[in-house]
Amino acid sequence: MTPEDFDKLQTLMSTRAGYRLRRERMQLAEHRLGPIARREGYANVEALLTNLWAHPVASLGWAVIEALLNPETWFRRDRTPFRVFERELLPALASARPSGQVRVWSAGCSTGQEAWSIAMAGLETGARIEVVATDLSHRAVEKARLGRYTGFEIQRGLTAKTMLRWFEPEEDQWRVKPDLARVVSFARANLLDEPVDDARHDVIFCRNVLTDMEPARRARVLDGLEQRLVDDGCLFLGADERLEGETVAFRPVSGRPGLYVKAPSSLRRAA
Amino acid sequence: MDLTTCLIVDDSRIIRKVARRIVEGLGYEVDEAADGAEALAYCTGAMPDVLLIDWNMPVMDGLSFLRLLRGLPGGDRPKVLFCTIETRPDRIAEALAAGADDYVMKPFDGEILQSKLAEVGAIAA
Repeated sequence: MTPEDFDKLQTLMSTRAGYRLRRERMQLAEHRLGPIARREGYANVEALLTNLWAHPVASLGWAVIEALLNPETWFRRDRTPFRVFERELLPALASARPSGQVRVWSAGCSTGQEAWSIAMAGLETGARIEVVATDLSHRAVEKARLGRYTGFEIQRGLTAKTMLRWFEPEEDQWRVKPDLARVVSFARANLLDEPVDDARHDVIFCRNVLTDMEPARRARVLDGLEQRLVDDGCLFLGADERLEGETVAFRPVSGRPGLYVKAPSSLRRAA
Repeated sequence: MDLTTCLIVDDSRIIRKVARRIVEGLGYEVDEAADGAEALAYCTGAMPDVLLIDWNMPVMDGLSFLRLLRGLPGGDRPKVLFCTIETRPDRIAEALAAGADDYVMKPFDGEILQSKLAEVGAIAA
């Protein structure tokens, strides 16, 4: 692809997905777009892009965007947040809710490992948990909803005991069992969009999503998270992610890396 | 806990070599045994901190070795990962019941081994 193509790709990713496509990812982008060019019947990536710029068809544009997103995820990634969630947040939240029901959102769930990890933690502590998981990528959401993982994917982060408890073999892969599947629902959603309903969550996991976003778009995502989080709820960001002036809506919880609660100012605004 | 030595028990020299490279990368000092009997002799002399054990091996298979290991003085201390091509749930459960701390299905990679060792508490997360 030409440098001009890459510039346009950067703009596409930024405006539609808020995603920051770094210059050093140009080769990776070329590599990832190859299969789409072949599938759509183009001679090469350059031909695909030339056509996309001339006739910006939404479906092709989104196929390109999805291919360039960062899908990396694994079960119980970084482990600590799931331990804090399981041992500290869940018991506190379950007892604070009249129904005992705890609602969790996995925002930017990719292929679903985080959502299943949250659900397993909930069911293993006996909580009444309900997980909503969303991602920008249709393909990732489809895989997540199917709940089927290769031997490599299923073993990354899960002990064999946990794997046997919640997954069963299916055609050389491992598929989520119905008792876990029934507490998680997956949907395709863009974190840049305004909320379409008034659903609110007790805990939001939005980990390793902001890192890949244009700094200028992070505030909008954080606003959306704040609107969808109950006032006494918690937000988990990635282990290496820090909020630095993007928002005044959240403040970090000391001694719990990556854990945030609503700042007093946003509580006043809500009231 | 300061775990430093790892014994890799597998009859495949190639698997031992691959596993050795991964485990050494995680900071372990590594030794190798080609079957359960060799491993048992090794552990009678010096108990390693971590063992990776294959199932099907000549002379003595991994499951027989694991049961004998757990009966040795200090044999309950090492963290044991069973590493085999067997993927049937009842076989995995059998290995866990025999005293394996965790179970790794082949093929595996460095990320899997690292996360498994972290889950059993053999290395920091």
